Amino acid sequence: MTDQVAEELKDRLSLIESMIAEGRRTTESWGWTFVLWGVAYYIAIASSAFGHSTMAWPVTMIAAAVLSGVIASRTASRHPETTTGRAMMAIWLGMGISVFIVMLSLGFSGRADLHIAVAIIGAMLGSANATSSFILKWKLQFACALVWWTTAAISCFLSETQAGIVFLAAIFFCQIVFGIYCMIAESRKLKARGEGQGASHA
Amino acid sequence: MPDLPELNPVIHGKLRLALLSLLSSVEEAEFTWLRSKTGSTDGNLGAQLLKLEEAGYVGVEKKFVQRKPQTLYRMTESGREALTEYVQALKQLLGSAINA
Repeated sequence: MTDQVAEELKDRLSLIESMIAEGRRTTESWGWTFVLWGVAYYIAIASSAFGHSTMAWPVTMIAAAVLSGVIASRTASRHPETTTGRAMMAIWLGMGISVFIVMLSLGFSGRADLHIAVAIIGAMLGSANATSSFILKWKLQFACALVWWTTAAISCFLSETQAGIVFLAAIFFCQIVFGIYCMIAESRKLKARGEGQGASHA
Repeated sequence: MPDLPELNPVIHGKLRLALLSLLSSVEEAEFTWLRSKTGSTDGNLGAQLLKLEEAGYVGVEKKFVQRKPQTLYRMTESGREALTEYVQALKQLLGSAINA
């Protein structure tokens, strides 16, 4: 076997490796959803504080869900479907539906108060962030999970005002700041990677 | 010296090999995504995907999303087996080159 043939075989092997790595690196950009939902929580909190308490959360959550669906459907076609992507979708969709059902039931039964709301939302968001961080092996997201779990736990011991402040702070750090950080990281990755690579000949 | 394996000519093409490798790491992928990852032209990409499809290594699904046509490709089970065999043959050939 000549050196030239051996080199060609090595090229083929490295092409396989690089293409598989390229496919695995393909994760959809979801940083915007954290920001969108963070803003939605703030709108819901502000609306419920200004008197529309029963309908504020369900209306805002439905609006945020519709908006997320519309934006996601417009960007989804640009990305291939991966098992990791589907797992992420399942985690967050499942969490969202669970919180929505529980909060809606509590709201209509008149048994909701801020402590319970913060405890439920904090625990569910902590769980979703933790599961997601285990799959993605992402320590920063696990830190968000810890913040949410802490928020959920301490809200049971604090006054209503204090629980509200802790909840607002957790939303700010784990939704808005984390979301913006994700968006910046995603855009840096895209720029660094660039589009269009070799292998254009049959 | 053991007999050296033959490399599958359908997979051995550089672009076809890149396409199968990409498709092995995702569940399904759109034509435009494959084009951007390989840097290929529409015509060449379509022709190579057709060869893979004819060999039974790739499945194709055409649908409309928001009134726009979308062509999705996914690797078949025989495609996965063929790629695995190709990699094994490649390694065996390289091994024999080192030991020669």
